[in-house]
Amino acid sequence: MRRLAPRFTALSTLAAVAVLATAGCGLSSSTSQSPGQTTVTVYSPRPSNITDYVVKEFQAAHPEYKVQLLTLGAQEVADRVNAEKTRPQADIWWGGTPSQFEGATAKGLLTPFGADVLSRVPAKFHGTGDAWLAEQQQLQLIAYNHDVIKAADVPNDWADLILPQYKDKILIRDVAPSGTMRSVFSALIYQQYAKASSPQAGYDFLKKLDANTKDYAANPSDLYLRLQRQEAALTIWNQQDILAQAAKGAPFSIKVPASGTPINLDGFAKVKGGPNAAGADAFAGFLLSEKTQAWLAKNAFQIPTVAISEKPDWLAQLTYTELPVDSKVVAANSDTWIQYWIDNIKNRG
Amino acid sequence: MTTTDARTLPPAEAPPAGEIPGRGRSRRRLTAGDRFIYLLTAPVFLVIAFFVVTPMLHTAAASGQGQGLAANYGTFFSGSARTALMLSVGISLGSVVLCALVGTVLAVLLTRFEFPGRRVLEVLAVLPMALPPLIGAVSFVLLFSETGIVPRAAHELLGISAGAVSVRGVAGVLLVHTFTMYPYFYLTVAAGLSGMDPSLEEAAQSLGAPRWKVWATVMLPMLTPALVSGGLLTFMRSMGSFTAPQLYNVQTLTMQIVATRTGGMYELAAAQSTVLAVVSIAFLLMMRWYQGRRIHRSLSKGIQRSRTQTRGIRSALALAGSVVLSLVLLAPIAVIVLVSFSVDRTWTIQVLPPDYTLANYTRIFTDPASLLPINVSVQTSLVATCTAVVIGAAAAWIIARWPGRRGGSLLDLAVMLPWALPGTVIGINLVTAFGGDSPSSLGLILVGSIAILPVAYFVRFMPLVFRSTSAAIAQVDPSIDEAAQSLGASPLRALRTVVLPLIAKGVIAGALLAFVEGVGEYVASVIVYPVGFAPLSVAIYQRIYAADFGTASAYGTLQIVLIFIILVVSNRLEHGRRRRRSMGV
Repeated sequence: MRRLAPRFTALSTLAAVAVLATAGCGLSSSTSQSPGQTTVTVYSPRPSNITDYVVKEFQAAHPEYKVQLLTLGAQEVADRVNAEKTRPQADIWWGGTPSQFEGATAKGLLTPFGADVLSRVPAKFHGTGDAWLAEQQQLQLIAYNHDVIKAADVPNDWADLILPQYKDKILIRDVAPSGTMRSVFSALIYQQYAKASSPQAGYDFLKKLDANTKDYAANPSDLYLRLQRQEAALTIWNQQDILAQAAKGAPFSIKVPASGTPINLDGFAKVKGGPNAAGADAFAGFLLSEKTQAWLAKNAFQIPTVAISEKPDWLAQLTYTELPVDSKVVAANSDTWIQYWIDNIKNRG
Repeated sequence: MTTTDARTLPPAEAPPAGEIPGRGRSRRRLTAGDRFIYLLTAPVFLVIAFFVVTPMLHTAAASGQGQGLAANYGTFFSGSARTALMLSVGISLGSVVLCALVGTVLAVLLTRFEFPGRRVLEVLAVLPMALPPLIGAVSFVLLFSETGIVPRAAHELLGISAGAVSVRGVAGVLLVHTFTMYPYFYLTVAAGLSGMDPSLEEAAQSLGAPRWKVWATVMLPMLTPALVSGGLLTFMRSMGSFTAPQLYNVQTLTMQIVATRTGGMYELAAAQSTVLAVVSIAFLLMMRWYQGRRIHRSLSKGIQRSRTQTRGIRSALALAGSVVLSLVLLAPIAVIVLVSFSVDRTWTIQVLPPDYTLANYTRIFTDPASLLPINVSVQTSLVATCTAVVIGAAAAWIIARWPGRRGGSLLDLAVMLPWALPGTVIGINLVTAFGGDSPSSLGLILVGSIAILPVAYFVRFMPLVFRSTSAAIAQVDPSIDEAAQSLGASPLRALRTVVLPLIAKGVIAGALLAFVEGVGEYVASVIVYPVGFAPLSVAIYQRIYAADFGTASAYGTLQIVLIFIILVVSNRLEHGRRRRRSMGV
């Protein structure tokens, strides 16, 4: 018994020695810069096949810069940029929804890029005060597992999703924590709101959609997994992610609704007070170059906001009309509408 | 075996309601022991105030901004926020009951009985803790959802409809909580049982009490601190749990907080987080009050009881039981291992993955950068755990022996506060508090430095060491160290040679929990980790995000193997100690 105390002390000492011995061992950052280089820090929710390519090509074209990349969820980037406002760590915030960027703009967390970068993107794709730019347009559409449902049996339009034959055949990414789904549902409510100045008919539609919805997936990966494992046949998501999964072997296809597709802008911005302002401009200039955007269109299924001279096959064959949305009205009402959906519609249809 | 005087204090002799051991002595003059406690308090309190309390105050302050205090908190009187709150409380209480049941039964089984396979089960019992949070959630879907292994197998083998067997909704959340949180009970109760003197039980039995009565009147009351500790950890962790409600689409308060944040209403989210913390703290106070009413301490020096040997049919039953139990406990882990060897996107309608590969592992081992996250997680968690042991155990000691009337509860609340909050909130608090030159951070800037990771893990997981140590200390009567001091030992020497050996198991149990949780921590890590030093959980997230479940599972498997090795080593050390102890060394 008396020996226990020394043994406990010995154990603690052992642990302490282990810590000291390993402290620093192997803990050198994988992204240390060479002499003459400056570091550009990028926060991004983009998947690694996109970021790896762009970062590698950028560093090859600009050996004076070393890129440090942090991959986070879109909301986590917004949280982090917000939390770091007194001591910004990032130069570029690459990937996020207009509402995330507008929120950060209102808090004064972003600053416009240089004139050269701004001039590359058409004015309609600039955020308030040029504080952020849209890099791509994502079509929100109907996607399906083509092993489970034939193309001819897929709903033709949004209105068809509530038909009785699709009961329990739809799986939707949970709406409230998803910027993408918030904007799709807002766009669908807006269609009715524009006619009657009331969201009620939109709510009624979503209630019927909820009745046909088998479940709400926790996150995009959960959605792909369950769709692939044939838990349901249909979903609502964007063309980029669905086609990217299909290219990796998932049995997924897309269908553009007849009445039109809501278009989400996906943007990027320069963080105000970031450590390397010049590097941020250089990175943004490279990202918006036609060569980079053409590669992203071809390999990552992006619809760029900048003009590219040669469209990849999938894009050339894609015909779509935009579902008209007054972004000011949606921005003003979206939170109320989605809150109503959480309180009164979700799991109640 | 022992001649030590042992007794329990019947409830009649216990301090009045709300009193904490040691407080009754406040009117006396300060003893050397009291002075020692005060001396120890200063640094411990400073560390806790600096790293834990101040950052939390930022959140509370933010909850009054935006639409204003009344509007933000008013949302709780109606609508979805209230429903979400009730649901969270209900699920948390349910989780406590289920975890208490599983954890206590397992602890009793494994500390009091000897049967084949017991040693293996002792390690397996703690292994579900090692389930990596993100990929662990996926494994529950792959096992129990409508298209999961269990319902599909039930359909193929027995013809039962898959939908009838699948787990969903609140039941799913309770299932995940029970699986991942019962170790909070298992470890504290096992520590409590093995610190208990067998002569108590023997005395009761020799007086003719039947076995159930011995348990009801002697054993369970002695285990109150351990049960309270497990209950607190489970309740507060369930309140803050997010992955399971998200997975099973149950609109709890944490889901509400995330939805509010996504909508950009940060102040409302801060108010919701504050309410979450307040509920947890109310539960903490209630449990402290309850524990204060039921003080049962031992004056014994804690001799290990010999195990009940089972033979014949009982042994076979125990063996069969432990095999079934192991299978159930290991299933989610086995799924991760299985997926780590399967080819992505090939597993669609089959019960088990059809194609297997080693590519997921070669991808990790051929990229030199991909081992760094493991290194980062292990080292930062180790630093955090060592610090948590020093500060957490000291804080537990201070509170148990606090000589004043007030202050003990306050310190208890301060230490437990981070456990009551979702990880995201803690991450944001830390970045806000240590992001720049502010007076409250004394100019210490942690943002952008790797030091912020151990600080985050320390803040999040010190409550585990603290609670587990508190439970162990609560079983020890203060007169034991007072006796040592009256015999001339200094307070420090009495602590080191008399008390520490008695509570060592509790401290180690807490440290083990803290380390394992640190290695898997995701929600706070993703907000604070510095560029170039992604911890393991973030590396796993990045793979899941790209829907590369195979590589994510391979990473997850490495994490499980790592923790398994640590558990085996600590189990070995523990057994070595017991053996030497039983030999009278």
